[in-house]
Amino acid sequence: MAEVKVKPEVPDPLDVENRIIELCHQFPHGITDQVIQNEMPHTDAQQRAVAINRLLSMGQLDLLRSNAGLLYRVKDSQNTSKMKGSDNQEKLVYQIIEDAGNKGIWSRDIRYKSNLPLTEINKILKNLESKKLIKAVKSVAASKKKVYMLYNLQPDRSVTGGAWYSDQDFESEFVEVLNQQCFKFLQSKVELSMEDIETILNTLIYDGKVEMTIIAAKEGTVGSVDGQMKLYRAVNPIIQPTGLVRTPCGLCPVFDDCHEGGEISPSNCIYMTEWLEF
Amino acid sequence: MTQAEIKLCSLLLQEHFGEIVEKIGTYLVRTGGQPLRAIVSDTGTSLDQVKKALCVLIQHNLGTYQIQKRGFVEYSVQCSRVLCILRYPRYIYTAKTLYGDTGELIVEELLLNGKMPMSAVVTKVADRLTETMEDGKTMDYTEVSNTFVRLADTHFVQRCPGVPDASGPSDSAAPPAPTLVIDEKDMYSVPRLNLIGKGKRRRSCDDDDNGEHKAKKQKQDLESQEPPPDDGIYWQVNLDRFHQHFRDQAIVSAVANRMDQTSSEIVRTMLRMSEVTTSSNAAYTQPLSSNEIFRSLPAGYNIGKQVLDQYLTLLADDPLEFIGKSGDSGGGMYVVNLHKALASLATATLESIVQERFGSRCARIFRLLLRKKHLEQKQVEDFAMIPAKEAKDMLYKMLSENFVSLQSVANLIERRQYETRENKRLLEKSQRVEAILASMQATGAEEVQLQEIEEMITAPERQQLESLKHTVNKIDASENQVDETIFLLASYVDSTVVAAVKKP
Repeated sequence: MAEVKVKPEVPDPLDVENRIIELCHQFPHGITDQVIQNEMPHTDAQQRAVAINRLLSMGQLDLLRSNAGLLYRVKDSQNTSKMKGSDNQEKLVYQIIEDAGNKGIWSRDIRYKSNLPLTEINKILKNLESKKLIKAVKSVAASKKKVYMLYNLQPDRSVTGGAWYSDQDFESEFVEVLNQQCFKFLQSKVELSMEDIETILNTLIYDGKVEMTIIAAKEGTVGSVDGQMKLYRAVNPIIQPTGLVRTPCGLCPVFDDCHEGGEISPSNCIYMTEWLEF
Repeated sequence: MTQAEIKLCSLLLQEHFGEIVEKIGTYLVRTGGQPLRAIVSDTGTSLDQVKKALCVLIQHNLGTYQIQKRGFVEYSVQCSRVLCILRYPRYIYTAKTLYGDTGELIVEELLLNGKMPMSAVVTKVADRLTETMEDGKTMDYTEVSNTFVRLADTHFVQRCPGVPDASGPSDSAAPPAPTLVIDEKDMYSVPRLNLIGKGKRRRSCDDDDNGEHKAKKQKQDLESQEPPPDDGIYWQVNLDRFHQHFRDQAIVSAVANRMDQTSSEIVRTMLRMSEVTTSSNAAYTQPLSSNEIFRSLPAGYNIGKQVLDQYLTLLADDPLEFIGKSGDSGGGMYVVNLHKALASLATATLESIVQERFGSRCARIFRLLLRKKHLEQKQVEDFAMIPAKEAKDMLYKMLSENFVSLQSVANLIERRQYETRENKRLLEKSQRVEAILASMQATGAEEVQLQEIEEMITAPERQQLESLKHTVNKIDASENQVDETIFLLASYVDSTVVAAVKKP
């Protein structure tokens, strides 16, 4: 009897790549080589390596290091299209900035990590900024330093200084005011209910400084009552102070007694005289 | 009509047209429609003078007449129209921002003359513009005509009602006064005129082409004997259209203050698209689709369609309710809520007045009352969180105050006239000196001689004149500012009146 040789199944390289991409989409935080192996037991290490390297070089995968070893993650498609046409140096710089997360990284540190000359770095940074892939944020640590981070990230507190900084300036008065109010409040040991807070917010509404809208909210959402939630925000007035109040008559306490020929008249009005001399 | 309104009408008529027109005009404002005989006897003015005054008032679109059932003619003057005189600078300035110096002068000429044929406007404006140009340059009639046509197309100027073509049998008794009519479709149609020519300078000492100038002058004299090609077709400024523009400006500005520049540009686009399709007292514009709005955005604006849709949704959801969504076709149908916007602007105006006159605590109560409509005194305290005694005082104060815009303008005008009277002697002296200087310059006087004349006005006098100029300018500006307040409040009141009338 002739021996039947069973040809080992040769997986199609394209299939492997597609399957890896599918897996990455399934696990957006990244997958390890082990995961790929479990999914496709008929592939050997070399075949997997070839597929991964191709995907990496095409810019479809990101390579990350974690405690579990090497992670492969699908690249953000929006940025992928923007990065097309970027050369490898740009991709490297971008990677370095991405790794810095929301704390950002100085251009000097980018130079150390990439070993690229400063002029090259500056050119690349300008390019990436114009493509809106990265942005520069001033750091409160040293006012002349700028850190770079990905465009869509919220800068970390250590960079912006948090609530106590407004544009690099320390808001001492703001802190002072809140300090006093918090102390008063704690001294009085009063417990404020949600209704109490709402009454205070209402006074702000009647001051015209805050507006409220009601939106539908799922039961159980924090702050919702009977399927509704009240949202507040600060608003600007819709007009500048109106014309009338910019004239003396608009603010005059004896307006009713004033008429031409009387003791108080426009001709002898002292408020007008003062106002005209201004 | 309040005393303040009548007082202000009187001041404006007197300032612009003199004592006699003021007397007749104020009388008619106070008493409503009156026949000629009654005007003569009630005002103690001669028939001739009354007729002249009425002519002036009618020419300037301040007065009208109506043939009553029993065949006599009643004359009347609209108080609100007289008050619009206050707004002339604003109309002229708006024309300047939209159509340049040419537009500015066209509107100014029409306002100063009441009614004019287009040919007369074009000639006059071309002459005036030529005066301001470099020597040798002149303004072409065609350019002025083109601007005039644009003003007509956008409805800022309109044709006056005219005498209808004589059609009835000639032996029927002529009516006591002609009934002036205008067909809706003719109101903005510009007659085909072949106005060819250039503006002329007033000075007769043109350096070049003196001969040509003489020839032109002769030709002009000949032409002036023939009736103009558009004889009988008169134009006036369409104040309602300007008011619509001011209203749109206020709405756009409010959106910019409450939201951002882009939102306000979107609203401006929507209002621009609705300019000639929305009647002056409509509650909202015609629905506009998101696609149409996208196509109509100004050229420089580079927002994507999806971003526009997001903005439109935000605008429609905003508590201001300036924009409303009326349907889903075409990417979403949106309207501008004109009446709602006017109400919000009027409310904000009142709140601003209360805030500045009485302080923030009062303003808080005021806003509270506007929202809750009726409250007992105790409730006011609870809501506004103001101690009891203060609340009571403020409530009484506000109840007894009247809002004062109109009287305030009258006061400003009184003061301005007072300041001018006080400095009358000095002003007249200054004018005499100016006239002497002008004539000396024209006859080629020496620099030394001119200086001698200038020194006739001493340094302290010069200072006094400067100070007077500053005073008058400041008061003028203030009149315009208070008029802004009047405009917002009056527009809101007008919109509610129309709404009430419309209800079945």
